[in-house]
Amino acid sequence: MKKIIYSLLVGCIMINASSCNKFLERKPSGAFTEEEAIKGDADLQGLINGAYTDYSNKVYNGKFQWIEDLLGDQANGTLYTGDDGEIFKRKTSIFGDYKNGLYTDVYRPAYIGNKVLENIGKATTARNDIEGQAYYLRALTHFDAVRIWAQPWGFTADNSHDGIVLRTTSSITPGQRSSVKAAYDTIIADLKKAENLLGDAVTLGYANKWAAKAFLAKVYFLQNDFPNAFAYADQVIKSNKFQLDASYANRFSIGLSKEIIFGFKFIDNNLYPGGELRNRYRSDVGFSAQGRFHVTDQFYTAATTAGDVRAAAWYSNTLAPGYHVITKYNKNNFDVAAIGYTEIKLIRAEAAAETGGANLAIAITDMNELLTRAYGGPSKNLAANALAATVISAARRERELELVGEGNRIQEIKRIGARTNTNIDRRGGRWNCPGLALQFPISEQAANASFRMNQEGGCD
Amino acid sequence: MMPKRSLVGILTILLCLPAFTWAQSKTVTGKITDATNGIPVPGASVTAKGSKTGTSSKADGSFTLTIPGATTTLTISGVGYETQDVPVAADVILISLKAAPSNLNEVVVIGYGTQRRRDVTGAIAKVAGEKLTTIAAPSFEAALQGKAPGVQVIQGSGLAGSGSVIRIRGIASIGAGADPLYVVDGIPIIADAFLRTNSGGMNQNPLASLNPNDIESIEILKDAAAAGIYGSRGSNGVILITTKRGKSGKPSFNYNNKIGISTYANRPDFVSGSEWLQLRQEAWENDGNTGKAPLPGGVTWEQAQKNNTDWWDLLTRTGFINEHSLSMTQGNKLVKSFVGATYSENQSYLKNNSYTRLGLRTNFDFTITPKFKATLSAAYNRGINKRVPAAWAGGLGDAMSTALPIYPVYNDDKTWFTGGANPVRRMNETIWRNTDHRLIGGLTLDYEVIKGLNVRVNGSYDYLSGIDDQWESSNWINDNTKPGIAKRSPYRGKNWVASATATYNWNLNDDNRFTFLAGTEFQEKSFINRVYVEKNSDRPFYKNKALYEHALDSIKQTTTPLNSPAFNAETFASVFGRINYVYKERYAFQASVRRDGSSKFGPDKKYGVFPSVSAGWTISQEEFMKDLTFINFLKLRASYGLTGNSNIPSGQYYFTYYAGGQYNTAPTLYPGNVGTPDLHWEETQNTDVAVEFAGWNNRITGELAYYHKRTTDLLLNTAISPSTSFGTSFRNVPGSEILNQGIELSLNVKVVNKKDLTFSVGGNIAKNYNELISLGGLSADAAGGGSNDTRVVTGYPVGTNYLVRYYGVDPNDGLPIWYDKTGKLTKTFSLDNRMPVGSVVPDFIGGVNHNLTWKGFEFTSLWTFTIGGNIYDGSAKRQDGIVTDWVIRRDLLDHWRQPGDVTKFPRLTMNTGTYNGLSSEWQYNSTMFLYDASYLRLREVSLGYRFDPKLLTRLHVKGARVFVTGMNLLTFTKYPGGDPEIARDFENVTDRNLSPNITYLTPPQQKSWVLGLNVTF
Repeated sequence: MKKIIYSLLVGCIMINASSCNKFLERKPSGAFTEEEAIKGDADLQGLINGAYTDYSNKVYNGKFQWIEDLLGDQANGTLYTGDDGEIFKRKTSIFGDYKNGLYTDVYRPAYIGNKVLENIGKATTARNDIEGQAYYLRALTHFDAVRIWAQPWGFTADNSHDGIVLRTTSSITPGQRSSVKAAYDTIIADLKKAENLLGDAVTLGYANKWAAKAFLAKVYFLQNDFPNAFAYADQVIKSNKFQLDASYANRFSIGLSKEIIFGFKFIDNNLYPGGELRNRYRSDVGFSAQGRFHVTDQFYTAATTAGDVRAAAWYSNTLAPGYHVITKYNKNNFDVAAIGYTEIKLIRAEAAAETGGANLAIAITDMNELLTRAYGGPSKNLAANALAATVISAARRERELELVGEGNRIQEIKRIGARTNTNIDRRGGRWNCPGLALQFPISEQAANASFRMNQEGGCD
Repeated sequence: MMPKRSLVGILTILLCLPAFTWAQSKTVTGKITDATNGIPVPGASVTAKGSKTGTSSKADGSFTLTIPGATTTLTISGVGYETQDVPVAADVILISLKAAPSNLNEVVVIGYGTQRRRDVTGAIAKVAGEKLTTIAAPSFEAALQGKAPGVQVIQGSGLAGSGSVIRIRGIASIGAGADPLYVVDGIPIIADAFLRTNSGGMNQNPLASLNPNDIESIEILKDAAAAGIYGSRGSNGVILITTKRGKSGKPSFNYNNKIGISTYANRPDFVSGSEWLQLRQEAWENDGNTGKAPLPGGVTWEQAQKNNTDWWDLLTRTGFINEHSLSMTQGNKLVKSFVGATYSENQSYLKNNSYTRLGLRTNFDFTITPKFKATLSAAYNRGINKRVPAAWAGGLGDAMSTALPIYPVYNDDKTWFTGGANPVRRMNETIWRNTDHRLIGGLTLDYEVIKGLNVRVNGSYDYLSGIDDQWESSNWINDNTKPGIAKRSPYRGKNWVASATATYNWNLNDDNRFTFLAGTEFQEKSFINRVYVEKNSDRPFYKNKALYEHALDSIKQTTTPLNSPAFNAETFASVFGRINYVYKERYAFQASVRRDGSSKFGPDKKYGVFPSVSAGWTISQEEFMKDLTFINFLKLRASYGLTGNSNIPSGQYYFTYYAGGQYNTAPTLYPGNVGTPDLHWEETQNTDVAVEFAGWNNRITGELAYYHKRTTDLLLNTAISPSTSFGTSFRNVPGSEILNQGIELSLNVKVVNKKDLTFSVGGNIAKNYNELISLGGLSADAAGGGSNDTRVVTGYPVGTNYLVRYYGVDPNDGLPIWYDKTGKLTKTFSLDNRMPVGSVVPDFIGGVNHNLTWKGFEFTSLWTFTIGGNIYDGSAKRQDGIVTDWVIRRDLLDHWRQPGDVTKFPRLTMNTGTYNGLSSEWQYNSTMFLYDASYLRLREVSLGYRFDPKLLTRLHVKGARVFVTGMNLLTFTKYPGGDPEIARDFENVTDRNLSPNITYLTPPQQKSWVLGLNVTF
């Protein structure tokens, strides 16, 4: 009451007096303006840390992987309905909150990266590292987006087909699609800048030189650019900073995996990576065939051949009777890799075999390392004089088996399709069918009437 | 040359003159007051009976009249009063006029003052408090339905405590809230229904805690003349709630009691377990499969065939209603007081769902000196809402969606079935309770500086504390190592208002009365969240207070703050003025202006000016109307003015960053909001023209009004590119405009008006035309939720159903046929073919009531109706569409089975691909699920008996009445999906504006019977 009377008596007989203007300023509590928020290294790194947190919680928490796996051909989606069913049937529309929500979240790293780059003048001692992380974040966004919202590299001869919205400034402007070529060029340019700016040390949860190189290897690999893919994968492997986990149980564990090149670390009461992986793939708690990953009979048979250690490590027929489920994520918590060593080994192996020559031996060595782990010994190893085609075939098979439940398969359907013009999709889809590129959210078109949406129509 | 006829006339007058001159005359004086409140009645006509000699009473009710000496009787008539003959028994005559059945002299509460209804120049609907308490509505505002023209009240749902969507004269906004401003005894109160977001699929109506029995009256301000004094918050109309105050005299007590039962008004009809299996199998085989169709929920066909679980039945009950209110009023020269207390428990028809209200109100009016008065008001209310999830959140929503009749409640081993939705398990293994405490208090000091000039200072405080308690059993959380988990998340809201006004009543002479008002007002509102606490416990925190206190003590030892920083803080600073002028008791003028400063708007847009002008002409006072004796009252009024809408969250114009939690033990920083520095209010130009009338000895009364509202600078929170990584950002769309115009008619006819028998029929009907004139070139999908299927399309109403048009089924193959954009038939479904095809805005809304009294009996009813408009059933996409893991509505049985079948629905399928072009069940945005929203509902029916006071005297009882009332007993509708009165609880204001008639598993309204007793002693 005192406050009220005071306000009445003292304040604002003329309501545009300066004291009144102050009364009418109510900045949201705890909020900072940009000038207050971004002053130096710590603030810039704080922004980047926020982007990592969001990426870990909203994109690579399993949501991105799940959408990729729905588009792939390993899941048995007979009972999927709603947004899951729409994505699974490869005929996404302008709506669909699950997909559209991911779209917005995928772009957050780019926004932060751009914001940091626009304020990089405020950085001091950690400038290179901060700048490198900013480019790295921007590349993450564009690489994620181009993989699922555009047709693949090689869809057109000059890759002039529609790509994605490239965000290289933080301005809030209507989106306009670039070509796929422009998108890949930007991704590679950003990753190369990151590669040069980032430091050598590997700390789980943060971008580093090797993470940039690993992503470069993956980007080139998806372009079927094998010399570059090989070169970058080779550098990562030769850094000797990573190694294959001896046990599959360690791949998704708390602190036991040596394979994570870039990923997110479980920290109790702080960060719980992989929430959506548990929601969508976990088979020991709350399994429902309507909304979780379970694989087709065909894939299950291929993945559980005699002697395959992964069969026992990663699959079950008993946890959900009647369904082939995976057990990879049957844990309450674990660290999550956004890019890992197994994948880099597979990239080097296949790229080496593709480039041939002296590289073929490297390919065979890489494959045999993986095969020895997969089959509990050398029984399925490749011969030292195995043909390149045999190595490529083995690499592609093992890639599918190693990376099950990690969203890998759809990218292979597209990449191999573009490489060989063959359709490896077991659901009979063409590698370049419209449905393999997700439809953009309608809000892109609402903000920009001339925004070119993807062609709809599925893959039938 | 003078005409012959004129000459004759003059001569006649001259001949008559001596008669007047020669007659003896006398002078009488007197004073005329209102019998109900003693207020002087100006402008009343005083004539000597049998002659044409007459005068009018002055502003203070006094009159002086010279009459022929033989005159023995004066006839007194005043607008809105019953005509009286008074004997000339003394030289000074005091007359109390009784109000006529029309209410033209009732006192109407307007912003910052009161007026007689006949002087009102704005559109104000008044609803007496007693009209709100006959039914057991979940919250007082729901009881307004059908009682005020142009006021659309859609009760949210049948959930206990559920709020209503109220739209006054249409929807004038897209991205800003279109809810009216609620003002209780001068305090703009916290009324946001989503303070706890949309948890549980239900709003959290803070109005529910107000005790309807405390309400004296509700005034609904509809146009700029009425609502303009609330400036930047007046566009959506203002609901003024005035609470009861003490009356002079000895203590008088009133006890009110209602007991009753409740159930649901309508129930959607779903197929049984065996029918569901049959339909699923049919869909499976239609899709070219053989063998048994796979079943969801992990149940086998054998298990499924054993079950026919009626989930609806398991989740519902007959609710019990129990209300008690006791009030006391007394008054002496120093103080008048009103003290009221209430306790009520209103169980809904859903098991475990009830709203319990406990309230205490004290209103004191002090007369400290004849010039210095003070009022002190304080009300405390506690509402306990035993919650259940609903709609999309589960509970009854599960019974209408994924809780299939083929699922059991228990497995064979008596453990809960968990393969699919099991709302019974949730009901038994979880507890949810919201406790709201609300304190509204105010002190007003009023000093008469000089005669007619009063200065009034008011300070008010509105405090709200909400506690959300949840408890989950060890079974529910799948962790037998824990006894269960108790969770508590409280919030607090505070809102203070301080105002100072000066009112000067200046009666220049008998013909010219002025009232000047000048004032200033400040308001600040903010919220905080108390720290969220979660602990292992075998019961909720409200039953384990020590554990909660212990948890808080533990938190105090850490760096975690107990309270969040204030959020949604907003301030207003305003000055306003109003001039009312009444000339000769028949011409009333008003001009008002308010200058509002608001913290919600950008640095250069802080202040807005909102003027209004209005006039009223009481035509029936004119001489030329005197001969039209069947007209008792006829008034024309018109107004024009500007109002604003600032109903958006606070802090939206700032470009913000926030510190977040730690990432790998390092600090984080997040962008918060994309700021818009020139953000400002929406502005509405209001025009209102109306005729008010009473005739045939006041047996027919009514009002016909036309209004025209153009709202510009629309606020929008959508249509920014999602690749910016932001979903929303508030801005005013340049060149945007919404038109609302309409006609309102209210009419009351007293058919029989005898001493022991009265019968009246009344009602109101309103037609609102709503059109989005422009949205600055943005597309139809620029606003509107993806799955709500309502959009904004230029040239169509706000809230247009934007759907693919369904033609029907091809009898040959059973596949659906659609219209494309050009009107050609196609078998390919495409969202590109969506068209504006329906509207959530009805053509007409209204209510019809009757009142029949015979001796002590009173029989009343209120029918409410909407005519036209559409309901879109978002849940029918899955209940009546593709066969999925959802329940199936019975009307889907009318589907194609074989060539030649002519049916409403196409062949069944489990595969969206069967219907070419359809991508998912959710994108089945078609007119297949669009229905006529017209309905007629028996909202209230009541039979009461008022005991003869003479019989009660021995019992020391002044009055007693018993009644029985039914609510929502009958509903006539073509909508097959359940209840046609629908307001999906959209937290998002855009959805809320666009989708009042959209349903998604909305629980039906409550149907109830109550038996009531009202005793005064």
